Formats: sequence, C-alpha cells, structure tokens
Amino acid sequence: MTIRVDPENNEPRALFALADFNGQRVLEIGCGDGRLTWRYADRAAHVIAIDAFAGSIARAKENIPNELSGRVEFHHSAFEEFVAKNDSSTFDRVILSWSL
Amino acid sequence: MVHALEEIQRMLAPGGCLIDIHPVIEAPLIEVYQRRNVVFVVSDPGYDYEEGLRQAEDALAQIVQRRLFVIAGSGEFDLITSASSVPELRDYWAKYGAYIEEPKDAAVEARMAETFARVEEAMRRTGEGAEVATHEKARITRLNPKLSPP
Repeated sequence: MTIRVDPENNEPRALFALADFNGQRVLEIGCGDGRLTWRYADRAAHVIAIDAFAGSIARAKENIPNELSGRVEFHHSAFEEFVAKNDSSTFDRVILSWSL
Repeated sequence: MVHALEEIQRMLAPGGCLIDIHPVIEAPLIEVYQRRNVVFVVSDPGYDYEEGLRQAEDALAQIVQRRLFVIAGSGEFDLITSASSVPELRDYWAKYGAYIEEPKDAAVEARMAETFARVEEAMRRTGEGAEVATHEKARITRLNPKLSPP
C-alpha cells in the first residue's frame, strides 16, 4: 500500500466551494510536494507554486503530470524573496497552503 | 505574518482573492481503522505548534480589523493521511515535514515513541485490514481585498 492523502477529496471540495479556479492565475505559497496543486491546476490558466524547502520542490517537479507540465511552475523560494521579484496585481488567486 | 498578508494584497489582481488553509488549534489524531471503522484513537504526541497557529489566527484577525481584507467565506474540513503501517506513516511525515528545522525535545520524542508503540499494538490486535492514519482538522477562509479606504 502506498500513502493515501485525503482519499475523500475533502480539501479540494472545500477549496472549490469558496473560489472558482477556471482560467485563473494562481500563486500557491507553501505548496510542499504539490499535494494540493495537482487537485486544482487542471482548472487554472497558470500556476506558480513556491516552497522554501528544496526537498519538497524537487519532489513536486519530479511528479508533474505530463498534461500539467506547461501550466505549473514550481519554484524553490521563500515568500519574501518571491515577493521582491514580482509585480503588483499579478494573480487572481493566492493560496496560503498550510503555511501562514 | 501581517506583512506577508499585506504583500499578498498587493499581488492580487482586481477581483482576486486569498485562500488561507491552516490547521485548527487542536492536536491531530492518530487513528487505527479497520474497514473504515475507527478502532483506536490517540492525540498526535508530536503536536507542538499551537503557538504558531495562534499567531496565524491573530494575523488574519488583524488584517480584517485593519480592513485590508474582508472574510468572504470559510469552512472546515478533515484531512486524512493513511498508511498500512506505522513506519510507513512516520516515514511519510518525516519527508513531508522535513522543512521543520527545530528538533523535537527529548520529552516529546519519548512521548512519541511510547504513543506509536501503543498504535502498533492496536494494529496488531486489530489484525487483517488494519490501517493507520493521521486525522487533521483544517480551516479554510476566503479573504477578498478591500481596496478602497474605509
């Protein structure tokens, strides 16, 4: 048996109840290994997902499904570093993913 | 934390929103299941981040109080992470939680060892089909930026 995370999809169900992701530009902060990213990225126009822990980002990059590879970017970055390089009004959705 | 939330407001396009997900302020549970029935449950002995969660709640309350954001919706959900054995589950969390730089102190480590021994004993007693899981409760909140001054 492999590890099963959220087999009943409670987290994406709660996410989609609060916001529409169709065609949206998304920033996910604290994406870890992409556990949540994979659940909504197929709806989004583009996703930038960041995490300060290099090991998690490496696992996320290894596991990008082919169909999402042009749509999702994973970056090893602390939030403060990321902010310094990014303009205002860039994203339609920002997710703080278990990271505040 | 408040500064980070201010920066998020700056990066949001008009009509955009922030979705915050973080655990509720209570220890996760370690559960043993058999055929979807919980047969053993104990609080996670490694839960030592209550202060951080309180700070997160305070930061969210501050940005709402300062009218940087308004709460547009919220809810709670259960996040279950299951495995067929205690070592498998602990290995997963060791990898997933590896960004936590501060080591647990000796007392917490001892409590974890004792608790997981009890969980393993419960799995042995349960027998075929036993699974072990962490059960976390999380709060999810949608915050819309309030762009015009009050």
